[in-house]
Amino acid sequence: MAIQVPIKVFRYRPGTAPHFERYQVTVPDDATVIDVIEGVWAEHDRNFMFRHACHHASCGTCAVRLNGYERLPCIVPVTEALAGRQELVVEPLRNFPLVGDLVVDVAGFFQKQAASGLVITRAAEATLSGQPFAHSELFSQAGALEERAYNRFENCIECGICISACPTMAATDKFWGPAALAGIRRATLTTGDCQEKAALLALADSEQGVWRCHSAFECTESCPQDVDPGGAIMSLRREIVGRKVKHLFGAG
Amino acid sequence: MQAEKSTRPRQVWQWADVRRRKLGMWAYTLNRVSGLGLVLYLFIHLAVLRLLAGGPAAWDNFLALVRSPLFLVLDVVLLAGLLIHGLNGIRLTITGLGIGVPAHKTWFLALMAAALILSAAGAIAIFTM
Ligand code: SF4
Repeated sequence: MAIQVPIKVFRYRPGTAPHFERYQVTVPDDATVIDVIEGVWAEHDRNFMFRHACHHASCGTCAVRLNGYERLPCIVPVTEALAGRQELVVEPLRNFPLVGDLVVDVAGFFQKQAASGLVITRAAEATLSGQPFAHSELFSQAGALEERAYNRFENCIECGICISACPTMAATDKFWGPAALAGIRRATLTTGDCQEKAALLALADSEQGVWRCHSAFECTESCPQDVDPGGAIMSLRREIVGRKVKHLFGAG
Repeated sequence: MQAEKSTRPRQVWQWADVRRRKLGMWAYTLNRVSGLGLVLYLFIHLAVLRLLAGGPAAWDNFLALVRSPLFLVLDVVLLAGLLIHGLNGIRLTITGLGIGVPAHKTWFLALMAAALILSAAGAIAIFTM
């Protein structure tokens, strides 16, 4: 059955004042919110800017603020998003520079993500050799994921939701941020190289690292992939403090 | 399209925006509000102490004022602010060192319950002694 969905969306172009516009979009009743966003583009305004790709929460591209909270609209059913409301409200993620409408500039975010040195690899993606991973290259015979330096399997899909949810990111974009620090934590666990580990911990211990976090834990709450960046930040702190205490007593 | 680097001022008001946020954010904001309140109190306290320079008469008048019910209520607010900020600070120090992190919400609720009970006990003491 088709339903009419009222939606209020954030509109913006450089040089113009940001504002909201309202639309009605027709979608099947089992549609997700990304279908409604696409409907705005398809039925009303071909200039409407939004990002999307996989439609099943594996790319992290479509993240927005839905009804005032960070979500992946590709996995939120319209009926759930509309429950108890007159209309959907869709805005771009916070704490990123705006490009236009729902699109934000994620370049700086990805640069920070790369700081951990981990290459993003998933089973469906090409390897450095250009060939797709065979199942056996990622998993051991027992079915456990192999610990390899280039496996980045802490589940982060680089959606940027944690950046938008983090109140510290609202104060400064220099902060490494939850996702990059979770990546650094992951890298410290994976590497067997003491020097590399020390360099990663020094990165986390820097001015814009773990000590800028003020423990709101909104990253952990909002992360759609259960990465628990807040927990990763606290684990990094424990390790850094532990090393310093050992060093103080001449053991490090 | 070219991305504008700074289209909006950084929205520091997010620090106080707890709409739809979870318990950790409430704890975060509560700590900021109580901290700012305590800093404000410090300056009021210093200004009041300055009355001592006005001689015994000025000080006696002030003492009469602070024994009024309104000021006693403010004493209770001050006590509650100290307890909330102090106990929340202990939680932040412990979890901030990576200890008991998964239970941070339980820590918060338990310590705020303690702050409430101690504030109530302090209020009774302030109004009856
Ligand atoms: S840590 Fe979670 S919320 Fe942050 S970018 Fe990765 S998947 Fe998204």
